[in-house]
Amino acid sequence: MLLRNPSLYTNPEPCQHLAEYKLKHGFDGYKAIQKLLVISPIGKASVKKPNTKVPRCGFCNGCEGRFYLCLICSSFSCLDHTLLHPQSETGHAVFVDIERAELFCGVCRDQLYDPDFDQVVMSKHSLGVASGVTGNESIGQRLIKRRRLASGVVGLDLQKSKCRVSTKDLREKSCYPVGLRGLNNLGSTCFMNSVLQVLLNAPPFRDYFLSGGHRLEACHHRRTADLMCCLLCDVNAIFSAAYSGDRSPYSPAQFLYSWWQHSANLACYEQQDAHEFFISMLDAIHEKESKTRNGSKGNGDCQCIAHKVFYGLLRSDVTCMACGFTSTTYDPCVDISLNLDTNVSSTEKGKKLTKQNEDGSMSTLFGCLDLFTRPEKLGSDQKLYCRNCRERQDSLKQMSIRKLPLVLSLHVKRFEHSFVKKSSRKIDRYLHFPFSLDMSPYLSSSILRARYGNRIFNFGGDQSDMFSEFEIFAVVTHSGTLESGHYVSFVRLRNQWYRCDDAWITVVDEATVRASQCYMIFYVQKLQHNKANEDPSHVPNSPGRELFLPIAGFC
Amino acid sequence: MSVPNEENLSSHSQLSSHFFLDLLDSIIVDVASECHRVARLGLDSNLEEEDEELKLSAQARVRVADPSNSNEANGKYVVDIFGQTHPPVANEIFDCMNCGRSIMAGRFAPHLEKCMGKGRKARLKVTRSSTAAQNRYSRGSPSPGSTYSPYSNYSTNSMNRLANGTSTFAGEEHSNGTLES
Repeated sequence: MLLRNPSLYTNPEPCQHLAEYKLKHGFDGYKAIQKLLVISPIGKASVKKPNTKVPRCGFCNGCEGRFYLCLICSSFSCLDHTLLHPQSETGHAVFVDIERAELFCGVCRDQLYDPDFDQVVMSKHSLGVASGVTGNESIGQRLIKRRRLASGVVGLDLQKSKCRVSTKDLREKSCYPVGLRGLNNLGSTCFMNSVLQVLLNAPPFRDYFLSGGHRLEACHHRRTADLMCCLLCDVNAIFSAAYSGDRSPYSPAQFLYSWWQHSANLACYEQQDAHEFFISMLDAIHEKESKTRNGSKGNGDCQCIAHKVFYGLLRSDVTCMACGFTSTTYDPCVDISLNLDTNVSSTEKGKKLTKQNEDGSMSTLFGCLDLFTRPEKLGSDQKLYCRNCRERQDSLKQMSIRKLPLVLSLHVKRFEHSFVKKSSRKIDRYLHFPFSLDMSPYLSSSILRARYGNRIFNFGGDQSDMFSEFEIFAVVTHSGTLESGHYVSFVRLRNQWYRCDDAWITVVDEATVRASQCYMIFYVQKLQHNKANEDPSHVPNSPGRELFLPIAGFC
Repeated sequence: MSVPNEENLSSHSQLSSHFFLDLLDSIIVDVASECHRVARLGLDSNLEEEDEELKLSAQARVRVADPSNSNEANGKYVVDIFGQTHPPVANEIFDCMNCGRSIMAGRFAPHLEKCMGKGRKARLKVTRSSTAAQNRYSRGSPSPGSTYSPYSNYSTNSMNRLANGTSTFAGEEHSNGTLES
C-alpha cells in the first residue's frame, strides 16, 4: 500500500460516529460498498443500484431527490429519512451518497472524508484500468530517482558556494549589484539584450559560468581546429564583462556573430522574437555541450547547463471517453508557452482602466495555467485509437507538469496568427502575474487527483512541495506592435527591481513591474532564490582566477 | 373532450418541469460536494495569497496609469544608475570579426548581415561576399609548398595595398582582377 503524503491534505478528524462505526464494524461496510462501486469513463464514482430498479426510500417509498445507503443495514433512505434513521436505529449513523460515493453522517448532517474509504474508491479506479497500476509502480520508481536528482542538484549548488572567494572590486562605482551592466543595441537587437540580461541574472545559470563551468582551455584547442566560434565561450565572455565591475555598456558583438553562425535561419537584421531567441540559444548550448561531453544520451539525463537549469517534463494524458482508458506520454521542455485566458470578451477591450479594475475579470497567470492544464476534447479529426476498445473514439487530452525545472520560464503567447483571416496581430491585454508562484496545483499529481475527485490518496510521481514554490526574478516585456516594438527586461536583485533597456539600467519600483506587459516571466525555485539573496558578497568578480574544484556528478 | 386534453397537457408540463428541477438539483449538489471536499481537505490554500497579489496588481496599474504619479522618464536620454548617459545609437567602435573592418556598435547587426551573406539583403551583395570568402580562405590556409610561393607573395602585396587606404570600389575591382589572372 502506498504511503499517504500528509503535507498534501489537511487530514480531517473523523466525527465520533464514524470512529465508533469503524471501531465496531471495521472495513466490512467498505468492502461491501467496493463491490457496488461503478466508475464512469471520465472517472466519477457512484454506487450501483440493486436490480437496476429506481431506488426508493425504505421509509416513505419516495423515488425523488438524493439517496443514501446505510452502511450497517443496507437500507436506502431519502435525505429526510437519512436524518431520521439514526434516531430510530441506534448506531446507524454512517451513510454513503449513492450518486457521488461520498460518506455522510446522519447525526452531524455533514459529508465525511476518510482516507480508508477513499482508498477503497481509488482501488476501484485502479482495477478498472489495469495498466494504470503498472504506470503507478513505474512512476514510484521514477519518483525515487528524481528525488535523488533533485537533492543532488541542491547539494551541488551548496558545495559550489563554499568554493567561492569573496573579493570586492575597487573599481566598482557604487553599491549596485555587481552583475548589472547595460548592453549596447547593435541594431534592432533589443530582443537579444533582454534575454541576455535575464540569463546573466538567473541564479543557477549565472553560478555555472561564474564558477568556471565552461572550460576555456579545452575549448580553445578545438576552436582553432574547427575554425568555428564557440557559443559557450562567448556566453562566458559576456558573463566576464558583466561581472567585471566595469559599468560602461558592453557590446555583445562577438556573441551575435557566434549565435548567427549557430542559428543560421535567424541570422538576419530584423526585429526578432525574444522567445525564439531564448529557445534557439538554449538549443545551441545543448548542442555544443553534448558534443563536448561524450557520455550524454537523450534529454532526460542531459548534463549540459541549459538542461540542468531549464529542463522540465510535461505529461500529456489522452483519455478515451467511451471506456476511460488513458494513454500517457511525456515531453521534455525548457519553457511553457501559455495562451492568454479568454475570460474577458473582446468587446471589453475598449473599456477604460478604472472600469477594468471594477470588473474584476482580469487575465491572470493562474488563469493561463488553469487553461493550460484543463481537459480539452480532441476534434473529430484527432480521434484516438483506443487500445482497449480497438477502435477510434472521442477523447480528452489534459496536460500537466511531471517535473519542474530549477528555473521556470513561462512564455505568454501575445503574437496571434489567424489562418482564417490570414492576418497576425498582437494581444495587448494586461496579464497579472504573482511575484511568488506555487506550481503544485499544476503538477501531475494534483491534476490526477482532481480528475479522480480529490480523493485522499497518494498519486505519487512528483517532487515534494519544497520544489514547487517559485519566486520571480526577471520579466521580459514587449511594447509596440507586431512589426515594430521594443523589448525591455526587468531584473530583481536583492528584492530591488532594475529596468534593463539596452544600454540603460535604471531603478524601478514594484508597481512598474506589476503593471508591465509581460511576455516572458522567469521564476526560480525558492531554494535557489534564497541562496542567491543570502550571499551577495560571494559573487566573484574574476571567474578566471577562481579554482574550480571537481564535484561528483549525480549518483 | 377539451377537459381531458387540458389535464394531460398540464400533467406533462408538470412532469417535465419536475424532472428538470431534479436534474438541476443533482448538478448543484455535485458542485457543492466537490467544493466541500476541496475546502475541508485544505486544497484551496492559495486563494488568499492570490487575492492579495491581485490587489497589489490593481494598485500598481492605477499608480502607473496616473500621469502625475509617474516620475520615471520613458525617454532614452535619461541618466542610468551608474550616472552615465548614452547616445540613441551606440557609438562604441570595434572591429568586425568577420571582415576586420571598424564598425560602430549600433550599426553592427546590419553590417554583419551583409558581411555574412545572410538575410534578405544578402542577394544584392553576392559578388562581394564570395570574393571576401575566397580571400579569407586563401589567407587562412597553411603555407603551401615552394610551387605556390609567387601567388602567396602577390596576395600579400594586394593586402598591403588595401591597408594603405585604397577606396572600397577600387579594392573590389583589384580583387576581381586578381581572380581573373
